Amino acid sequence: MSFIEFRNICKRYPGAGKNTVDGFNLNIEEKEFIAFVGPSGCGKSTTLRMMAGFEEITGGELYIDGKKVNETAPRDRGIAMVFQNYALYPHMTVEQNIGYGLKNMKVPADEIARKVDWAIRILGLEEYRTRKPRNLSGGQRQRVALGRAIVKNQKVFLMDEPLSNLDAKLRVSMRTEISRLHRELGATTIYVTHDQVEAMTMADRIVIMKDGIVQQVGRPMELYDHPVNRFVAGFIGSPQMNFFRVQVDGGQARFLDGTVITLPKEARERLKGRTGQLVLGIRGEDLKTDAQSVAAQLEGRMHSVIVNTEVMGNENNLYFDFGGTQAVARVSKYEIKEIGDSVEFVFVPSKIHFFDPETGAAV
Amino acid sequence: MRTKQQRLCNRILVAAMLVLSLFFLFPVIWMLANSFKPDGAITADMNSIAAFIPPLPGRGFFANYTAILTSTGFVRYMANTLFYAAVLILLGIVVNGLAGYALAKIPFPFREQWLLVIMMLLIVPTETVITIHFLIIAKAGLLNTVVGYILPMIVNPFNIFLFRQVFVNLPDDVYEAAQLDYCGPVKYFFTMVLPMSKTVVATVSVFTFLNVWNDYLWPSLVFTSSDLLTAQIGLNSITSNDNTTMGQTLAVITLVTIPVIIIYSLFSRQIVEGVTSTGSKEG
Repeated sequence: MSFIEFRNICKRYPGAGKNTVDGFNLNIEEKEFIAFVGPSGCGKSTTLRMMAGFEEITGGELYIDGKKVNETAPRDRGIAMVFQNYALYPHMTVEQNIGYGLKNMKVPADEIARKVDWAIRILGLEEYRTRKPRNLSGGQRQRVALGRAIVKNQKVFLMDEPLSNLDAKLRVSMRTEISRLHRELGATTIYVTHDQVEAMTMADRIVIMKDGIVQQVGRPMELYDHPVNRFVAGFIGSPQMNFFRVQVDGGQARFLDGTVITLPKEARERLKGRTGQLVLGIRGEDLKTDAQSVAAQLEGRMHSVIVNTEVMGNENNLYFDFGGTQAVARVSKYEIKEIGDSVEFVFVPSKIHFFDPETGAAV
Repeated sequence: MRTKQQRLCNRILVAAMLVLSLFFLFPVIWMLANSFKPDGAITADMNSIAAFIPPLPGRGFFANYTAILTSTGFVRYMANTLFYAAVLILLGIVVNGLAGYALAKIPFPFREQWLLVIMMLLIVPTETVITIHFLIIAKAGLLNTVVGYILPMIVNPFNIFLFRQVFVNLPDDVYEAAQLDYCGPVKYFFTMVLPMSKTVVATVSVFTFLNVWNDYLWPSLVFTSSDLLTAQIGLNSITSNDNTTMGQTLAVITLVTIPVIIIYSLFSRQIVEGVTSTGSKEG
């Protein structure tokens, strides 16, 4: 039995026409770092809150460390949680906030002091220990919230979009901090985010959800390279994967604007003879515009004109119209192109994805 | 930046408010000044500006006050009232606070309708229910007892409404965090909700104090023993006594007024914040 097991978990709010979370199945091993990602309203936070005990589970069974906890009170589930809005106690100082749970657990005062000191030290909050939350910055508040979670020595940490209120720079440093804490403490962590970069950089495995249904569970690169459907392919990766509607026939793909290319051998093999309407997907970095890549490929060269560019510093994004839609290529920072320049490009054959246009499932 | 016209308007407004406040202060100044004078001096100064000027401190300066504090039961009446106020503040915060919390945060059937009923009670004048209160307290054999006086005064629809309006804006995730910190609902109310809502607690305390301090009708119905009387009843019995001089009357009125002035000056900010917060946006 896995450390945490979600067995066909469902959630339906009174009066709702359908389940907010539907048939959620997942096994989580001890010390794993799992990220739930998905767009707003996909059910990721609801699932986390059902696990915490703040939302009633309307169907299915939830096991933590071998025990069914559907009816167990939140405090008896052996979990600690970090909230999106920190949820600090505004009238308590940093050290009182961190030690409050231990005090209620009737831990001896000297041990509380030792644990609070330890948390304050590893989170770099020494200067702020007597301050109240209103006198702390967003990042410091988030560290206090982390401190409150780690001192209780629980086996499971739940984090509900903990970095979403921080600025971009602070998010990056807190990401590193949370990953470090996870490595040092070894607690099983479930992390909810709508930011796929956080999920990709921190998680051992990612659960992608949409409309209350799990779309795919896997390691970050597994999801990135082998998405099971068009939603996952589009959700993971920035800029989003390019999608083109094509008519495949006789090893050739006809785009909506009439362009016809001969599909590379690897792509033809993946199709196993399937023909008809399909969606062709290719990530920006697999859409090559450099002369060397273009020259190396004899089949499937395409042309267009740049309509927009984004200079990111470490790389450039080139936008151009192709196949009846706008496409983006992620190119090296040394490949400088201007709006209006013509561009010749090819797809990396092994990286072409095909999706069913009706179901969205990968072919 | 304010324009010249706006500054002029502001000055006129301040001047008007000063004149108005002086107008309201005149009786208080007159009362204070004359409370230090013997009756002869009060009558002599009546038609001159001296009526607003206290005498120079000297022998007999506090004579009226000494007479009131030593020869009447006024100290006891003041102490009684302070005790009733303290008990009612504590009980009022707990009872009305819990009711306000339930209406704000705990889902139960017809919650909004209950709130509406409680709000409708606000328009019922005290005088219309006081007979019912009296009959119940009399039937319960609690007339002329502290419990009989306090019991009907604990629940206050206005205070419930005040608490509810403030509690409804408390973040739910703090309660969830407290649950994970092994804090039960009762402990959460006393150690989190009340400290997080200091303003409304202060407002309710001040209102309760003023309510008890200024109340005349209910204590005059419940109490018959002079040992249990409140300051307002004491004030009436002292001032209606033929042996009480004009100066002593003014001294006792000054003594009754002082706590109210102190409370208003100390908590004016909380009173304004507490009352304005009831109109704050929910969500």
